[in-house]
Parts: sequence; structure tokens; C-alpha cells
Amino acid sequence: MDKIFLRFVTWLSPVLEKTGVDTTQLYEILKVKLLMDNRRPNAMFAARRAVKNDGSVKNPWIITFSTMLIGLFMSLVLFLNTGPYLAQTLYFSIFMVMMALTLISDFTTVLIDVRDQFILMPRPVNDRTIAVSRILHITIYVLRLALLQGLSGMVMIGFIDGILAVPLFFVQVLEATFLSIFMVNIIYLVLMKFVSPQKFKDIISYFQVGFSILIFATYYLLPKLINISALENISLLSHWWAFTLPPVWITALNELLMHPGRSGLVTGILAVAGFTVPLIGLWFVAKVLAPGFNRRLAIISTSEGNSDSALNTKKAGRFSVINSLSRILAPDPVENAGFKITWKLAARTREFKMKVYPAFAYVPIYFVYFALNSKGENVSDRFSRMQSGHTYIFLMYMCSFILSAILMNISMSSKYKSAWVYYAMPIKEPGKILSGMYKAVLTLYFLPFCLAMGAVIVSVWGPGTINDIILAFLVSTIYGMLIALFMVKGLPFSRPVVAKQGGGRIITSLIMLVFIGGIGFVHYFLMRSELLIWILIAPFLLITWLMFHFYKKQTWDNIELSDV
Amino acid sequence: MSDTAIIQIRNLSKSYGSKLVLKHLSLDVFPGQVIGYIGPNGAGKSTTVKILTGLIPDFEGEVLVNGISMAHDPQEIKKLIGYVPENAEIYDVLTPMEYLEFIGKLYGMEEAALRDRAKKLLTAFGLFMNADDRMDTFSKGMKQKVLLIAGIIHNPKIIILDEPLSGLDANAVIMIKELIMRLSQEGKTIFYCSHMMDVVEKVAHRILLINKGEIIADGTFESLKQNHSDTLEKIFSKLTGRGDSATETDAIINAFD
Repeated sequence: MDKIFLRFVTWLSPVLEKTGVDTTQLYEILKVKLLMDNRRPNAMFAARRAVKNDGSVKNPWIITFSTMLIGLFMSLVLFLNTGPYLAQTLYFSIFMVMMALTLISDFTTVLIDVRDQFILMPRPVNDRTIAVSRILHITIYVLRLALLQGLSGMVMIGFIDGILAVPLFFVQVLEATFLSIFMVNIIYLVLMKFVSPQKFKDIISYFQVGFSILIFATYYLLPKLINISALENISLLSHWWAFTLPPVWITALNELLMHPGRSGLVTGILAVAGFTVPLIGLWFVAKVLAPGFNRRLAIISTSEGNSDSALNTKKAGRFSVINSLSRILAPDPVENAGFKITWKLAARTREFKMKVYPAFAYVPIYFVYFALNSKGENVSDRFSRMQSGHTYIFLMYMCSFILSAILMNISMSSKYKSAWVYYAMPIKEPGKILSGMYKAVLTLYFLPFCLAMGAVIVSVWGPGTINDIILAFLVSTIYGMLIALFMVKGLPFSRPVVAKQGGGRIITSLIMLVFIGGIGFVHYFLMRSELLIWILIAPFLLITWLMFHFYKKQTWDNIELSDV
Repeated sequence: MSDTAIIQIRNLSKSYGSKLVLKHLSLDVFPGQVIGYIGPNGAGKSTTVKILTGLIPDFEGEVLVNGISMAHDPQEIKKLIGYVPENAEIYDVLTPMEYLEFIGKLYGMEEAALRDRAKKLLTAFGLFMNADDRMDTFSKGMKQKVLLIAGIIHNPKIIILDEPLSGLDANAVIMIKELIMRLSQEGKTIFYCSHMMDVVEKVAHRILLINKGEIIADGTFESLKQNHSDTLEKIFSKLTGRGDSATETDAIINAFD
């Protein structure tokens, strides 16, 4: 695929040469950039791949295939046999959202490649060549994505509207792509206007997290929420706001040319908008937005833009909260160090957040999925059925999923070599660092999440659930500690990310899952007696305390060292 | 040595915002010279290097390389210069061979000659076995070697080295030091920036000491010794105003009390 694009660039050469571009250099730069793109792990799938623990998959075919697969699913929407507009409008809405999200989450790192500054600039390459190579690189990336994503749509539309619709659909895909680029540029510009460069990178990574959550949620929830038969009766154009939606304009192109019988003046106007607006947007990006954009990118890539004194003073106040909190929870100096280092690294390490944060969303999504799965005529009926049941027990125990997601990642870091300090220090009881780590995980992530979930549960099922929530929290804490004891063999952020999971570990994790599931079931049966639950809290509190006591006693023998 | 300077810098000034980092710097460098360019952190050393290599295009004053003005034709100048940057930025998902091919082609070299030279250089630097491995698995020293090769692959007249020895083992260090001598005998001009005074002392024909944007010492090691002190380290600390290191160490020792 890249070769085709490169061939295309060679055809353009005579034209480019006249504008002062060195075409051989251009060709070489593009070739290397595309090669590097193929070898770069794809951010879009990074979050899920991490779960499978094989960070080394860099095969471009897998990415190609998965993009095409997403395109295939999207194109099924086209078969919605409805009145005018609806099917294609839906398709192009999804298309543009996917396009924009992929561009933001995946391509930003390429755009902000600092190394270009030091590798390309000292070579005899003129500015125009570099500028053109950047534009062409983006174009190729975007076109490849658009074609892969739109390919099956193009085939499908051939079956639906006849062979003539295929080239038209190609144009529509291009128009939708242009509009997405325009949208992304606006988002970038707004972001860069209001946040510091350092924050900008953070926000981009939140986009990535949001992206994987979105895909997950769509996969589980959309089929449950959308009633296809209800959709078919919607007449899109009877709503005035529909005229403002760009996908409607793009769809109008198809309506006008493929179904002239049912289209009127309105469709004509919309179609003209669908054809011209994306082009105007592209022109606007190239002429107005891009110049300022490049300047701002340069600021991001230099470290000078990062120092922000106002930000530092604000942070100082927040630290004192952590300080006093850590003094109460982890009084021992070594434990305190473990607590604080975990707290700060977890809150600041982007890769950790990217792997763990989606888990926070998965739990509620799973829950809504199960809730919707229950029998009932409509959504409110299902809800009232759920309210009369005891599914909240299940919800509470599912929270422990978060704890295990955090613990499985807490010892891993791409900068694991910095952990040499632990090995170089005279630490007699590394268990203290571990218990500090565990306390930090609990107070930073798990407790707030459980409190939020608890608040939801109490508001839905009433205050009678409080004892169950407390008990479930204690059980989850014990479960987490078991995971920490048997599965987490490293100090916080001290191990390389490429972790091999031995068969023994999988069995251990299964046993522990059965364990917590078993306790959950026992809890479920005992919950009729409110008093018994309140009484049970006491021994579990004791067990939790004992476990902490034991956990602190971990020696170096229990910890797997990684070479630093 | 020839009489016309290969690098002529006249009245070079550069400021970041209101901060003046280079103050009317003037300098002539002659072909075949090995210049040791030293100075404390933030003295303007890397700014000079970045201007010479064309990384910073806007500056005041005049920079002529081989008679070509940097302001008018930076691309012609870049062809003459080989640069080994300090920060070791490299496209590390590529293999050394791919990277060197890429760099060589940017200099407009012919593919066959380029591949041949890249292979010879990789072999000479002891990287032949790793020529087709991706560099993300390389040690710091191995990457540094690739950067060095990338800096000389087009046989440049001027070679600018910024801390080129970082990460290299003792044998490689000896090799590079010898290489610098040989390259200068071949008529190459070498601009060597470093904090390692003992190396500069040995390889440089002429030492330039920059402090606060101005050149405060310029001469051979011998001539600097006569006027100031007996090792380059001492000359350095004396001239950059840190002559009294005793008070600093006092403060450190007192911190334990």
C-alpha cells in the first residue's frame, strides 16, 4: 500500500520540483517515515494489547486488518432499509468520529516528533522539502486510513445503489475525511490555546483512554439500547437540526445523484454544501490554521515551553494534603516512601494511566450491560426490576476488577531502570514499600471509586445496603492483597513491561477469582440478615489488618528482581 | 594549514527573549584545525553549535563557512558539515543500515557507493553483526557509534562533535581520539565540544573557552598553560570565575552538621 503512495509521489515529482522541493530527498524522507509508522505500535490498540501482555506486536497487517474490520462493521449500517438519508448519515457520522479519534490518538505522536529537529535539520534539506514531506506524510496516513475504513462501505454501496454509486461513495468518503481533518484541527487549536504544552500531551492520552472506552461501550451497549425497528421509522429531515449535521450534507450527495426521484431543492442545497464545505474547510486548514499550528507544535517539542511557574505553586498546596494523608496512613519512613512514590508515579505516569483508567469505565459499562440484559418490556421496567433485586452485590464485587487491573500494572514501567534505587538502598524489609504501595493504591484509586459506586448503590437501592458495601469493600481489599502477595512480585514501577505470564500464575489468578466469587455468593445468601452482615464486618476487619501485618513482613526473597 | 579561514564568525549575537546568550562573538577557524570548544553549562556553547549546523536559522551577525554565508545558502553549508549531536536523537525503530542509507541519501549520495561505505564504516566500528538489527535494542555506546558514522558518512570537510564519547567504552574512546587526529591530518576541520577537559587537552590544537556568551580564552593548550595554570581543568575553573571551589565544598561538608 505504501509503495502505491510512494509511486504516486514520484508522479507528482515534476510539479513539486518546480516549487523548490528536492524530490529525491522527499522520497527518502517519506519512505523512512512510512517505514517507521509501520513499526510503531498502534496507540489505538495499545490499551487492549497491554492486557494480553504482548507489547511487541508491530505487524502492520494486524492494524490494517483491524481497521478494515471496523470499516466492515460500520458498513453494515448502510443496509438499514429506511427512508432517505438515515442509513448513510449514520454511517458517515460514525466514520467521521472514528476518523477524528484515530487521528487525535494515534497520529499526534508522529506530528510531535522532536527528533526531526536534530536528524533532518542539520542535513542539507531545505525547509520546503521538510514542509512538503510533512504534509504528504499526513495525507498518506489519512488517505490510507480513509480507504481502509471506507473500503467495505464502497463495496456494500455497490450492492445497495448499483455500481455507479461506488465512485460517488469514494468522493463522499474523501469529503468526510476532509471534514474530519478540519474538526481535528479545530480541536487541536482550541486545546493548544487553553492548555500548556505539557497538559496538551496529557489530554491527548486521555483522548486515547476515552477512545478505547468508547469502543468497548459501543460494543456492549449499543445493540441493547438501539431498537432497530424503532430506528427505521425516524424521518431525519423532519427535525430542523438535522440540516446542520455535516454527515447529512455528505449523504445528500448520494441522494441527489442516486435517487433524483425523491430529492428536491433542499437536497440539492445540502448536496452543494456537502461538496463545497469540506473543500473550504481543507483550504482553511492549509491557509489559516496550519501556519500557526506548526509554530505551536515547535513550542510543544521544545522543553522551554514546559516550565510554568504558576502551575508549580499550585501543586505545592496539593502535595501537603498527600503529605499529611501519608503520615497518617503510613507512619513508618520506608512505608511512607513507598506510599508517596506510588501515589506520585501512578498519578503522573501516562502509560500507567492509559492502561488502568479504562478499567474504571469497564465496570459500570458491564453493569449497565447486565442490567439491560434482564427481562423487561422497556428500559424503565428493567430498571425497576433491577431495583427490587440484589444485583448491587455483584456490582460491588466487580469493583475488585479495578483493584486487580491496577495491581497487575503497578510494578511495570517502561522506565523500570530507575528502580535501581530500591536495590541500592539498605532496605531490610521491602514489604514496607509494598504495603505503602498497596495503601496508596487503595486510597488513591480504589476507595474513591468504591465510595462513588457506593453512593450510586445507596441512591438506587436505599441505605440498607451500606453494611453490604462495607463488607464487600473489605473482602475486595483482602482479595487485592492476595493478588499483591502472589501475583505482584515487584516493587512499584520496577519491572519492564514485557511480562511473561507463566501457566502457574494463570492458575493462581483463577483460584483467587473463584475465591472472591465464592465469598460473593456466600455474602449473597447471608444478606437477608442485616445484622449478620454487620457482625461479619468485624472479623473481616481483623483479617484485613492481619493481612497487612503479614504483607509488611515480605522479604527480598519474595520479590523478583529485574536487572537494572 | 591554509591561510583562508574555513569558518568565519563575525559579531555573532543571539538572544532568547531578553536574555543575550551570545555577545558579539567573532572567530576564525582554519582548515585542519581541531578546535576544543569548552565552557560551563549555559555559556552559549550549544547555541554556537546549533547556529553553525543550521539548527537555529535566525541570529545576528555573520557566519561564513568556506566562503558561503549561512544566511544566504544554509543548504550548501550543511553539505560540508557532519554533525554528531549531544542528545543522541535517532530513529531507533530503524536498523543502522537503514538509518545510514537514509542519512546518506539526504546528502545526495549514490546508493551503491553509500551502501558500500556504510558497510565498511559499520565494520570498522565493530557493528557489522548488528547492521540489520533495530536500534531500539542497542546500548548507548552502540547508538553513539551509529551517530558518529552518520556524522562522517558523506566525507564532510568540517566535523562538529558534541560530547561524542558519551556511552563509549575505553577502547572506543581511544579509537575516536586517534580518529580525530587522523581526520585532521587529512585536512578536516574538527569542532569538538566537551566537558571532559582531559580529552580536550589531548586532542585539540586550539582551545576556545566560552563563558557568558563571550570567548574568554583562545589559544593552544601550551599558551594557555603559560598564562594561567597547569591543567586545563584548573584553567577552566579559574577563568570561569569558579576559582574558589573550597567555599563550595565547605558548604557541602557543613550541610551534614
